[in-house]
Amino acid sequence: MLNQIKQQIERLRARGATYVDTRWYPYEETNSLLMWNGNLKDASSSSESGVGVRVLYKGAWGFSASSDLSDISALFDKAFDNARIAAERVTFPVRLAEKETIEAKFESPLRINPFEIPLTEKIAFLQEMDKRLDQPGVTQRVCSLNFTRKQIIFVDSEGSQIEKIITEAFADLEVNGLDSEGGMHERKFKPPRRGESRGWENIDLQYFSQNAERIVRELNDTLQAEQCPVDDRAVILLPGIMYLQTHETIGHPLELDRILGYELAFAGGSFVTLDDFSKLRYGSEKLTVRADATLPNSPGSFGFDDDGIPAQDNLLIDKGILVGAITGRQMVEEANAKARRTIFNGSSGANRATSFYRVPIERMTNINIDAGQDGTLEDIIRNTERGIVLDGDRSWSIGSNREQFHFGTEAGWLVEDGQITRPVKNATYKGSTVAFWNSLTAVGNQSTWEVCYVDNCGKGQPNQIMQLGHGVPVCRFDNVRIGE
Amino acid sequence: MSEKILQTLGALRDYSLEKGYEISLYYHEEDSYLMRFANSAISLNTNEHLIRLEVTAYEGSKRASYAMITDLAKLDDMKKGIDIANEMAKHAMPLTYQTTVPTYENTFIDVSNFDPDLSTISNEEKLALFNQVVSGLETDEIKLSGIFSCGANTVAAISTRSEHSILMKTSDAQVTIVLSHNRLKWEVQAEQSAQQKSDLDPAALRAELTALLHHYTHDSPQQLPLGRYNIVFGPAAIADMLNFTRYIAFNGGLMKRGYSFLNEENIDQKVFSNQFSFFDDPERRETFPFRRDIYGIERKRFALVENGVFKAFAWYQDDADEFGQQPTGHTVPHHSLCMAGGSQPVNSLGELLNLPRETDILYIPFLHYMNIVNPSKGILTGSSRFGALLLKQDGTVVVPYNVRLTQSLLDIFGDRLSWIAQEILPYNTSLSYGARNPTSIIVPRFMQVNDLEISHSNSSY
Repeated sequence: MLNQIKQQIERLRARGATYVDTRWYPYEETNSLLMWNGNLKDASSSSESGVGVRVLYKGAWGFSASSDLSDISALFDKAFDNARIAAERVTFPVRLAEKETIEAKFESPLRINPFEIPLTEKIAFLQEMDKRLDQPGVTQRVCSLNFTRKQIIFVDSEGSQIEKIITEAFADLEVNGLDSEGGMHERKFKPPRRGESRGWENIDLQYFSQNAERIVRELNDTLQAEQCPVDDRAVILLPGIMYLQTHETIGHPLELDRILGYELAFAGGSFVTLDDFSKLRYGSEKLTVRADATLPNSPGSFGFDDDGIPAQDNLLIDKGILVGAITGRQMVEEANAKARRTIFNGSSGANRATSFYRVPIERMTNINIDAGQDGTLEDIIRNTERGIVLDGDRSWSIGSNREQFHFGTEAGWLVEDGQITRPVKNATYKGSTVAFWNSLTAVGNQSTWEVCYVDNCGKGQPNQIMQLGHGVPVCRFDNVRIGE
Repeated sequence: MSEKILQTLGALRDYSLEKGYEISLYYHEEDSYLMRFANSAISLNTNEHLIRLEVTAYEGSKRASYAMITDLAKLDDMKKGIDIANEMAKHAMPLTYQTTVPTYENTFIDVSNFDPDLSTISNEEKLALFNQVVSGLETDEIKLSGIFSCGANTVAAISTRSEHSILMKTSDAQVTIVLSHNRLKWEVQAEQSAQQKSDLDPAALRAELTALLHHYTHDSPQQLPLGRYNIVFGPAAIADMLNFTRYIAFNGGLMKRGYSFLNEENIDQKVFSNQFSFFDDPERRETFPFRRDIYGIERKRFALVENGVFKAFAWYQDDADEFGQQPTGHTVPHHSLCMAGGSQPVNSLGELLNLPRETDILYIPFLHYMNIVNPSKGILTGSSRFGALLLKQDGTVVVPYNVRLTQSLLDIFGDRLSWIAQEILPYNTSLSYGARNPTSIIVPRFMQVNDLEISHSNSSY
């Protein structure tokens, strides 16, 4: 197959294509188990294989994909024809940033392959979790395990050949309950990434059991709690909501394709402009953000992106000032040309596709906030006069240019004079992105820093769901509207 | 092609019977094309041909499934998939209820919604449509974005319970055209949903864009004061809100689990405005309907709300099995949702702009990134996008910056509902996560709701 692919790439180059790449997925497997109130509602597996071909011709992209590899030359021709028609409407001919030719292999670290664990053992884990969640106050118990494993062989017309084998294991717990007015509340446990690997070894029974008990306790506290007041207070965001704040109001606005207007038909734009780089005070001086695709244990690390660029650790925001973006090879060239200055020195290695039948686009890697100097969570609470501690994502809604947001959380605890006083229910907060990040007044130390994962980030047309991570500390923001 | 699909499914059924398996098979084939525009260029031109087969195996009250992307020539691979599903089912855990195995009492083939002229529309024709719609409207600063998505979608199913099968094939197209200002960051949009080629109407798309563009290029934008507004919603916003209503109001399984703002006591009670009627109507071809659900149940017009009275919950088969209810034929990839039109003779943007008004009216055609804040109370939040206008009481029109609404669906479709336009039209809500699933909701052209609170007002677009 590899030889056939290389021959087809050469054939299209001879027809005039300036660049061709393929991603051959010999396999992509999934295994999913979902237990709901003790019923194994879903026990499923899947497999797929196929090839996606991307062709650049006269400054325009064409793409084609198929699982039927019986006529591979027709697949390449289709991609070429798609590029040929696209070339009839070009305003800024696509150029690709320089890169080195790479022959390499990447395998995500794991000790125990989840696909080698017997189904009965996985079910036993879910049964144990379900038992622990089956407590007074809990009306719905949901436990899930999801595993993916894929092999990707990337070949391009510039001589690169990269093989990737990526395995991921996700395990979640969720409980729901009804308050005295019939209002539904939820509490989830999506474990932060610990250790250095991404396999079954992370599905630690004791760790999950402790957290199962915690979320039941916190759910019951919420069910008994008073309504969150409408108020302006300091909000102290724990990693379970801080990751989403980072994702929606730093990660997405800094995707360079959004900034350049490539997502305006669907996902939206960004309030960030090319003029803002090295100038915009995105947040307070306490805010330093990086896109770090080198964390070993996160789904936002993948060795090489789907342009064939090695994983990198790049600054996005340096002490509050915007300095970088999430980029692939195409967008950096266009951005530098449009800005008439060199903002980006090459791709940051963030162009990824969700499957062989989708085209790579700019995606977050691990968008992390550096830990700060403001101590532990307890220290931050102690130094807060009037505030609220928030955790857990319940709902999220963001403006089309990511300029404002509204988040609902699972749990909230009011803080008065440096002490937690009582839990509240239906806690929400909202704000304007830049003003909010500039109100950052405390960043927790390393003890508060956790790597959270996102397994359902949607973007693009055709739509793509991507997995990624966020390493975030506890943070405090002043004077935020809550309770609406 | 349909025959080959059914033959293959039949061969797989025979294999399963020989092995003593109890299985059902769900086949999905898509031929998808998407031309995407950005910055006035074709930013992506793509196509995918994919065949998916999902095997569900049953052993008593145990159930497991195996899905694969495959092609019809790979019969041995598909048989292997059946073996895997059965092996998984053996080791699965019994459900606390008896799960239903699909049983097709007769063979049902429906290709009446397939128009080959639409599914195979050429690249050149797609580009020509876009060029026709935006001719002369683009400038150095106003750029074209959008998509022309089209394709063919085939689903088929069989089980070991009977020799009969179902097969349904449809064609579809979704056209979204956006003109946006690359410095000021406003966007205006026109959209169309097509089930057959003759549904495409570039002149209507152009008229919509031209009207919005006139205001966005001539009027100064304003940040609206926070407060309460009478709001006219357009098709996209209405469709989005109806979709959420379907999810957190009318789904019987979710109601039993506590996620609905309705309960069984609300059945036959007036919950919404007298003007609000809402159906699942598989007779409407514009919705890319399924006339059988995947358990073989014949789907008929199903009233969810009639004149404000809540009529019934929709029950998916698995929820019906679990909660001892009668399934209602709703186990399909999407429903055929239709909101009834009203009596207001306002059926175009021009007519809306010219409508005499006693107060300011905020027109919100599209709500961006809507999400559920509190399902028990039906509270949603989302922001305006794509061409909002403030229609002043004095007859003038102002372009507002985007605003956020956080509101209960019980208010929006309840007593604050002022009027509904006469005309209804399909609004395409297709998403392409995973398998192609063309979907449209039939909505009124406009709907006015009074006294809704704007909870956030942007100082920019």
